Amino acid sequence: MVMTPPSATDRASLAPGEMLANPSAPPAVTHGLSENVILTTVDDLYNWCRLSSLFPLLYGTACCFIEFAALIGSRFDFDRFGLLPRASPRQADLLITAGTVTMKMAPALVRLYEQMPDPKYVIAMGACTITGGMFSTDSPSAVRGVDKLIPVDVYIPGCPPRPEAIIDAIIKLRKKVATESMQDRAYTLQTHRFYERSHDLKNVPPILTGQYLQTGNHDAPPKELLEAMGMPMTETVAELAPEREDT
Amino acid sequence: MADTESNAPEQPSAEEETSATLVEAGAASSWLNENGFDHELMTRDHLGIEVIKVEPQFLIPISTALYAYGFNYLQCQGAYDDGPGKDLVSFYHLLKVDDSADQPEELRVKVFLPRSNPRLPSVYWIWKAADWQERESYDMYGIIYEGHPNLKRLLMPEDWVGWPLRKDYISPDFYELQDAY
Repeated sequence: MVMTPPSATDRASLAPGEMLANPSAPPAVTHGLSENVILTTVDDLYNWCRLSSLFPLLYGTACCFIEFAALIGSRFDFDRFGLLPRASPRQADLLITAGTVTMKMAPALVRLYEQMPDPKYVIAMGACTITGGMFSTDSPSAVRGVDKLIPVDVYIPGCPPRPEAIIDAIIKLRKKVATESMQDRAYTLQTHRFYERSHDLKNVPPILTGQYLQTGNHDAPPKELLEAMGMPMTETVAELAPEREDT
Repeated sequence: MADTESNAPEQPSAEEETSATLVEAGAASSWLNENGFDHELMTRDHLGIEVIKVEPQFLIPISTALYAYGFNYLQCQGAYDDGPGKDLVSFYHLLKVDDSADQPEELRVKVFLPRSNPRLPSVYWIWKAADWQERESYDMYGIIYEGHPNLKRLLMPEDWVGWPLRKDYISPDFYELQDAY
């Protein structure tokens, strides 16, 4: 009886379909579970998914984007952080403002930000997007800090910052994403985190009509200019060209 | 005349500044004089390239003649403000581009314009390169190039008020343009 293996006796003594309540061998099912199941909170799982796939918008307006492009390349390789540059704001959830933002670009930048789906994050990259940088003294058009237009999560100083600095900013942003909780979501709805005021601007019809060479203005000079030139350019050349040899 | 010509190349620039009459007429300027195109000589620039000053009403005839003379390439068109209350200047860098040109002949043409009504004819119909350059000069200094086919703001927003690169320009007090602290 001792020599017989337990499983054989169990199987022999049990009725078909009956299970042994306390088998002497390690329980195979729970052992498999403990090696293959992770217990976590929904928040952590959700945050881990999000911070591992921050899709930045492919946005660059000046020299900062050269450094950002170096980060995309194989030497610095930001794909390892799960960052895939997206060409559409609809697919992006991170906006890295690489480069100076001017008054003309400002409406486009705000529009891009508003087109991004929530939750979305902004990294202000470089001195220009923090304070206006070297344009902050007397530029008539450089926006002094992109946080006047959109809320900013991380600021990277530098002119331009090295790719390592962007990696550092992304790690900081990942930490921020990791600490967020779904329970707080109702309380962290975006309020006016930035000063806003209506400019009372006059609406002007767009000057870029898509009709550049098609307007017909480029075909012939106006009459006054034609008279001043004396004769069409080809005839003038023909008349005056021989004198060039003389002089 | 022969005396000044032989002396001019080795004259130091300080002496040139004391009397503008000593400026030696270059090849292009002499040719213009021979053909009766009225212009004024200015001091050569730091590269020794001859600079001529042209009245706005004579810009088109002289430009046409210079094109025929061989200046087929408008290297640069631009403008600058001579100072607060002074004239606005529209300048043209002309070049003779040729096959295997090593040291192409160059010429600078300047047109001085009153800042109250800066108007001059466009050279777009002679050198097509003036298209966007004149638009930029218009955008930054408010110089009106008459006869330009598409004289609209190039860099600033289309509803911008004022000419930003004039010396007497005052930036608007937009919130976006105020200092960030």
